Amino acid sequence: MKENRYWAVVFMFVLTAILSTILIGLARFTEPQVRLNQQIAFETAAVRCIPSTEAKTPAEIHAIFERDFVKPESAAGAFVYQPSGKAAGYALPFSGQGFWSTIRGVIGIGIDRKTVLGIWFYEQAETPGLGARIVEPFFYGQFAGKTLSPGARPIPIRPVADATDKDIAAISGATQTCVRLEKLLNTAIEEWRNKMTQGGQGQ
Amino acid sequence: MSNGTAVKSSKQIILDGLWFENPIFRQILGICSTLAVTNVVVNTLVMCVSLSLVTALSCATVSALRNQTPRSIRMMVQVLIIAFYVIIVDLLLKAYWPEMSRQLGPYVGLIITNCIVMGRCEAFAGSNKPWPSFIDGLFSGIGYSVVLLAIAAFRELLGMGTILGFAMPYFSTQWDKWIIMVMPPAGFFVLAMVLWICRSIDVKGQKK
Repeated sequence: MKENRYWAVVFMFVLTAILSTILIGLARFTEPQVRLNQQIAFETAAVRCIPSTEAKTPAEIHAIFERDFVKPESAAGAFVYQPSGKAAGYALPFSGQGFWSTIRGVIGIGIDRKTVLGIWFYEQAETPGLGARIVEPFFYGQFAGKTLSPGARPIPIRPVADATDKDIAAISGATQTCVRLEKLLNTAIEEWRNKMTQGGQGQ
Repeated sequence: MSNGTAVKSSKQIILDGLWFENPIFRQILGICSTLAVTNVVVNTLVMCVSLSLVTALSCATVSALRNQTPRSIRMMVQVLIIAFYVIIVDLLLKAYWPEMSRQLGPYVGLIITNCIVMGRCEAFAGSNKPWPSFIDGLFSGIGYSVVLLAIAAFRELLGMGTILGFAMPYFSTQWDKWIIMVMPPAGFFVLAMVLWICRSIDVKGQKK
């Protein structure tokens, strides 16, 4: 084994260059697939947050998304779900900073703009076993059927002990995730409702 | 070993990886991931396959470069090579198995710091030829996998009543599910039980 100091630098430099080149090549090669996966993840969230749709495979989901979801100007950033041409609900995308990284999801809201149809998170990297449990049915299942209350906190997430039937019960041990989730979700709904009301006055 | 030198036969390398020098219950290496990914069998399986491949390929590469690698920077080189393979696994999972990539989250990246990989590179691959190093890495990985899968099957069965997501008779119906089994604390005591059992089994030819 060679002990020359310059050799050590040259060796490390060359090895790093070769390995990085291969990785960059592979990353470029897989990039379109990764983007497609993100698109599928979003479409899945949009379709799943409205529980009346019964799509299972990615192909079915994509077909339903293309057929039944439109994004008109008047919906203020939300998608309108209109099976058989008649509007039946809104799918509102939201995102914001969670505890560790960005949480993204879609919330389904009824055509009355008050009833929550469902929610689906498609991107999060919260603490596994704690905050990451927002993607488990016991948590996201609570949203369906809730009524958005007027004011700045349409859908409160409260500690289990304080939560009433109108609230979402937070996850014990994941206070930071729940506090941030409540903030980003309520901000998104509040902003959307305001825009919708302003748009609605013009109609 | 017939030749009596430090060169081990393939059979001995395999047996060492699987039992006599098993990374988990003999060397107590890679425990962090043992605790973290063993609550559901399918996650464990992907983690084990990834780790075994990364260990095997890293060991072979470290071994192939061992005569060119300056001793003073050998650990940097090892980490670089290990990171290279781990990033490949991560990229492939992200592109072709996004659900799994999402479930495993940061744990794939953390294979880089798994002590088993670097341990085998340093202890074996640095002074052996590429093929024995590959075998050594692969079977250390498999030795790790067997123990992890046993722990995961036990935890998933008692905690959720399923194995690989399939409902098991009795456990999915009558059994009162022990939620703690899929929570982090169970990793500690199931691992401790596995260590206790495996270390109590006395196999002929075992090094004390």
